[in-house]
Amino acid sequence: MNAPPTFESFLLYDGEKKIVKEVDAKVPNAVIFTINKEDHTLGNMIRNQLLKDPNVTFAGYKVPHPLEHKFVLRIQTTSDYSPQDALMHAITDLISELSLFEERFKEAVKERKEGLE
Amino acid sequence: MPYANQPSLHITDLTDENVKFYLEDTDLSVANSIRRVMIAETPTLAIDWVKLEANSTVLSDEFLAHRIGLIPLISDEVVQRLQYPRDCICTDFCQECSVEFTLDVKCTDDQTRHVTTADLKSSDPRVIPATSKHRDDDSAEYGETDEILIIKLRKGQELKVRAYAKKGFGKEHAKWNPTCGVAFEYDPDNAMRHTLFPKPDEWPKSEYTELDDDQYEAAYNWELKPNKFFYNVEAAGQLKPENIVIMGVAMLKEKLSNLQTQLSHELQNDALAIP
Ligand SMILES: [Zn+2]
Repeated sequence: MNAPPTFESFLLYDGEKKIVKEVDAKVPNAVIFTINKEDHTLGNMIRNQLLKDPNVTFAGYKVPHPLEHKFVLRIQTTSDYSPQDALMHAITDLISELSLFEERFKEAVKERKEGLE
Repeated sequence: MPYANQPSLHITDLTDENVKFYLEDTDLSVANSIRRVMIAETPTLAIDWVKLEANSTVLSDEFLAHRIGLIPLISDEVVQRLQYPRDCICTDFCQECSVEFTLDVKCTDDQTRHVTTADLKSSDPRVIPATSKHRDDDSAEYGETDEILIIKLRKGQELKVRAYAKKGFGKEHAKWNPTCGVAFEYDPDNAMRHTLFPKPDEWPKSEYTELDDDQYEAAYNWELKPNKFFYNVEAAGQLKPENIVIMGVAMLKEKLSNLQTQLSHELQNDALAIP
């Protein structure tokens, strides 16, 4: 009856942005990104990748409320680097890792199928 | 890409129902996201619109519509080419965003008529109920089939249905989830103590254990970090198990690159806003 629509967890509303940047003015080089209609799948993976970057001094994420389909990502970096660059690089690294996984998985499947024939 | 992992992988089992593999040299976060995306965000086809043109059966229209929606449809070859109906230019359904199904059965015998997935006629021979795949095989030698029972009819009862299968994923409704179970584990002997067993000897050991028979748990090692991940992806029937993994990871990559695109747009707007 009053159930939210089933697409609420993945479809952006009209005019809603996927990602919003807000500068955290309390400290230097800190930005809070809000990523809409995404969950732990991207949040945890991106945060973890950011933590590997030595120029990232802080990276953390949270899902503020289970019924709000978004996560908040806070990044702080050293002075010669910006949080948005850090995020860009983290995503690039994850994509390249997954591409390698994809390639190796396809190869392994192929080898296995040929082996069985 | 200075900090990207270089994972390696071994497939230990690959059948029509499941794929077992282990992944090394990656992070728990990445391994877990792969698992999550296969379950919740890998698209498949499922019937999502049903019109009951005649229903004199014992079940109500909505009950039958629900049952028909849950039938797994083979999606391997078609799902990637199909549009989501909400993105399609058509008003309701078309070839680009849906597959039509019909069912028309009337019981005229004294004997009970079983209406099964074999009675469901698809407009696309590539998209059929997963149970109908082996219909022409010799494997039906026991005189039994795996066809899913939709409803039983007694004499005089009739069921006539028109339905459309649409592309979707598990986040919207579990009927689009291509997996029926994804086993995922690391640290089979609990050396990292990420879980605590009050009595380790009361717990069954992992199939990947490296312990002797008289041991139940490895010694605690605080330096360890998850590095090797064991998966067993079971398919529910819509996609072949290897395709679940391939399409799942492709989906995860797509999510990341969409986010990256949106981020660069946001940063561009940002740069323009500052005078
Ligand atoms: Zn259409």
